[in-house]
Amino acid sequence: MPQPPPPERTIKIVSYAIGALLALSALAVLVLPQFERVYAKGPPNTGHQTLACADCHTEAAGTVRQQLQAKLQYWVGNRATDASFGHETVGNAQCTACHLRDVDNHPVHRFLEPRFAGARAALGAHLCVSCHREHKGVRVTMIPIACSNCHQDLDIKNEPIVDISHKQLVKRQAWSTCLGCHDFHGNHRRAAQVQFKEAYSESTIMEYLAGGPSPYGRDIKFLAKKGAR
Amino acid sequence: MLSRSTSSRIPYAGTAAIWGGVFVLTAIYLFASRPAPLADGQTAGRTIPIEKVFRIVAAENSSMRTLWTAEIVAAGENSGLKFDEKWREKEVAAGPLPALFLREAATAIRKTQVPLGLFLGSDYPINQSNMFTGTQAEYFRKMRETGEPQFFPAADIGQQTAMFADIIVAQGCANCHNEHPKSPKTDWKMNDIMGATTWSYPKDKVTLEETLQMIATLRDSFGTAYDTYLAKVATFERQPEIGERWPRDGYYLPTRQVFLSEFERRASPDTVDHLIHIFN
Repeated sequence: MPQPPPPERTIKIVSYAIGALLALSALAVLVLPQFERVYAKGPPNTGHQTLACADCHTEAAGTVRQQLQAKLQYWVGNRATDASFGHETVGNAQCTACHLRDVDNHPVHRFLEPRFAGARAALGAHLCVSCHREHKGVRVTMIPIACSNCHQDLDIKNEPIVDISHKQLVKRQAWSTCLGCHDFHGNHRRAAQVQFKEAYSESTIMEYLAGGPSPYGRDIKFLAKKGAR
Repeated sequence: MLSRSTSSRIPYAGTAAIWGGVFVLTAIYLFASRPAPLADGQTAGRTIPIEKVFRIVAAENSSMRTLWTAEIVAAGENSGLKFDEKWREKEVAAGPLPALFLREAATAIRKTQVPLGLFLGSDYPINQSNMFTGTQAEYFRKMRETGEPQFFPAADIGQQTAMFADIIVAQGCANCHNEHPKSPKTDWKMNDIMGATTWSYPKDKVTLEETLQMIATLRDSFGTAYDTYLAKVATFERQPEIGERWPRDGYYLPTRQVFLSEFERRASPDTVDHLIHIFN
């Protein structure tokens, strides 16, 4: 004998319960820190897996209304500087809070010098994120031929390589080979190869930049600070 | 009975009133100054052109450079201390040469919240990466001709920039650069303009408070650079006595406090004089 359909009241109660459960789940995803990775733009870059969103994304000053007012005043010309909305823009300060080293072959602040205007225009060399764009799940996002921007006139007086000169490499525009011997930031305790034939292959370097093992070894000079902020 | 024209106008009037109300509320929300507006990043009140501040920090740096070169490096070499471009390497028992001491201070500034930039370059650098190019090379040429500091903006990054001559103040500087195997110029002599320090700051006008903050940060950074040197000295097999005495007295080094006090004694009169007349 067929069951009589459930009364309308029961259907309503069940519907409300399901609706409330869905709403609570959505709220939990929005507010619980365990779920913050769900609404990140993408996977964290190499070594950043344990960072919390707030380690880099700090809340902008003021209330939403203050921020909107400030932006509007800026757009109509009544205010000299723009204001952030929601969160502050992530810039070098957030990166260098953990990664500023006492010695760095290419510290990002160095590119603020006037003579690097070309490198700034071509690469954004004065910004960490130009090479290390976050939420890409890799170590480096820049194609490794950027050296060409500053080292076109490379002419070393006492050539350290024995089987080919740096000058010849520049002439050949072999820019994809630089990282085969030179660690860009120089943060590994090692000596550069003296024979070009011993340079790490381009595929090894590409694998490293994509987050793979370091061909430069694991003897790091300056470890990144954890929780520097 | 309503006329046709009246009946068709009423719905439009209602819509207009609703949109008008929304517009008024939005305008109040966006323009009324409750809560208080966010602080503007632009400096308000009495301000100082950044060129004046650049002159002060450059003079402070010049005092430090003379102190480091003459009293630590030159006197130290006579009493048995070593200074080397590879001083940071573990196996090298040496301290930083003048340009590298400046770089240590510049890095220390970058670790603070004060956005003051300090760089050292030349048209004949030992390290090719310090070669002036582009606009900076043009201003450096102008400085060589006139001997005057150069001020110009780096428009693409919104930085104000100043270049000050880096003059050879000790014969040791000329000798070292002339004898260095990678030096592109080997006839340096006393009082030659060897290069320039370049300073940068993101504002063209600053407050007195910001000015004092820059000077204090620079001085702290000299202290940090000296601390780094003393930390290296602590690894030497034969360690100099660190106290009140200086290398000119023998195999000694001053403490941080003694070192900075001597620097302040030399630099402060000029700095205070500049500050007193800074609004003139």
